[in-house]
Amino acid sequence: MSEPEDIDALAGEYVLGTLDAAERAEVAARRLREPALDEAILAWEYRLAPLCEVTPEVAPEPSIWAGIQARLDARNAGREDPSIADLTQRLKRWKTAAILSGAAAACLAISIVWRETVRPSPAENFVAVLQRDTESPAFIVEVDLRSRLMTVRPVAAGRQPGKSYELWLIHDSLGAPKSLGVVADQGFTVRAALTRYDQSVVEDGTYAITLEQAGGAPDGKPSGAPLWTGKLVQATP
Amino acid sequence: MNPPLALASPANIVKVLSGPGRYGPGQILRRRSTKQSMEAADELAALLARTAAQDREAFAELYRRTSAKLLGIALRILRRRDLADDLLQEIYVKIWERAGDFNASRGSAITWMSTITRNRAIDEIRRKGMVAIDDLPEGFEAAGDSPDPLAGRERSEQLQGLLACLQELDPQKRIIVLLAYYNGTSREALSQRFDTPVPTIKTWLHRSLAQLRQCLKS
Repeated sequence: MSEPEDIDALAGEYVLGTLDAAERAEVAARRLREPALDEAILAWEYRLAPLCEVTPEVAPEPSIWAGIQARLDARNAGREDPSIADLTQRLKRWKTAAILSGAAAACLAISIVWRETVRPSPAENFVAVLQRDTESPAFIVEVDLRSRLMTVRPVAAGRQPGKSYELWLIHDSLGAPKSLGVVADQGFTVRAALTRYDQSVVEDGTYAITLEQAGGAPDGKPSGAPLWTGKLVQATP
Repeated sequence: MNPPLALASPANIVKVLSGPGRYGPGQILRRRSTKQSMEAADELAALLARTAAQDREAFAELYRRTSAKLLGIALRILRRRDLADDLLQEIYVKIWERAGDFNASRGSAITWMSTITRNRAIDEIRRKGMVAIDDLPEGFEAAGDSPDPLAGRERSEQLQGLLACLQELDPQKRIIVLLAYYNGTSREALSQRFDTPVPTIKTWLHRSLAQLRQCLKS
């Protein structure tokens, strides 16, 4: 069962990073209620941390700091971070709360989600139709310039088993194309990937889709010429 | 070649540690003065404390001093700059919110922040099912634009102690430990790379960890 050696090995593997997703989640949950496991994890973190000293540093782009400040400002203003990941997490939290605390919490959750969805419609909606020629639109990219939230949906892109469509932002000031992430071949993909770029780059850049190996280009560079491209135009007057 | 530069990356640590032995860690690594590193650690801890009190200036300074390190750690594991950039933003928001949780009696500020970064990055690759297998030998293209991070720097006594203990492991087991720590390589990926069943990898990991722990105690 839980002999000290087992706990220590489990903690060590957790810190090393060799556990799979389910095991990691289990350990993360267990440490909250098992002080011995928590202690063992902290001890391993401390033992192995010196290895980080030799990890090469990589200076972040200035836009990263701008993005962090924007997220903090959004929080301070009482509004939610535009990142969809956070929104999803929040929904998850509220769902859990709703299950745990019953109807009252559920109502609260709904009211929060409601507030989130019905905030005033943004006046700065832009859209790009990504196509090869005017006859064959393949993807539509919509951008809310205020929140920098981007929604991508395929119109006529076929499914490609074992491959992924990846969206890129191309602009002279960026040098190489910058990945905006893999986009689903059906339904909507919502991303906050544009938050790190200047408004002028977002507005003037070219949006392009390439077909990459499943999960996206492994080295962050497009592997071939874009299949479809387009630029943003204002969607609402 | 200037010996300290031979350690410019974890990849080289593996090479050095698995080499013929003429580059023992003791020869290559100079000691960083304890006083100097403790001062830097105290400053980071102080910045974290001020961050916990919602001091944006302190937070900016904390970011200036630590972001390149945390991005380097995230990039090692995630490999993709766009993913690492996203994660870095998320992590600093988390640091801003949780700075009050930092407990200086349980480790240094940079250890605390590095741990948050590694945990989140590893969660991310596990969630995405991404696999990074054989990147220690050549792995630094993604970070290639960074100047040599170790030039002129000295290693802490803690790192020297840890490297000496890693040196005592079998070369293959040592590489497995380093691959896991630096890249977040899973047991399954290690099993494929070393053509060894997963349970054996697990046994090796447990033995290596126990051996390391024992060695570090002494």
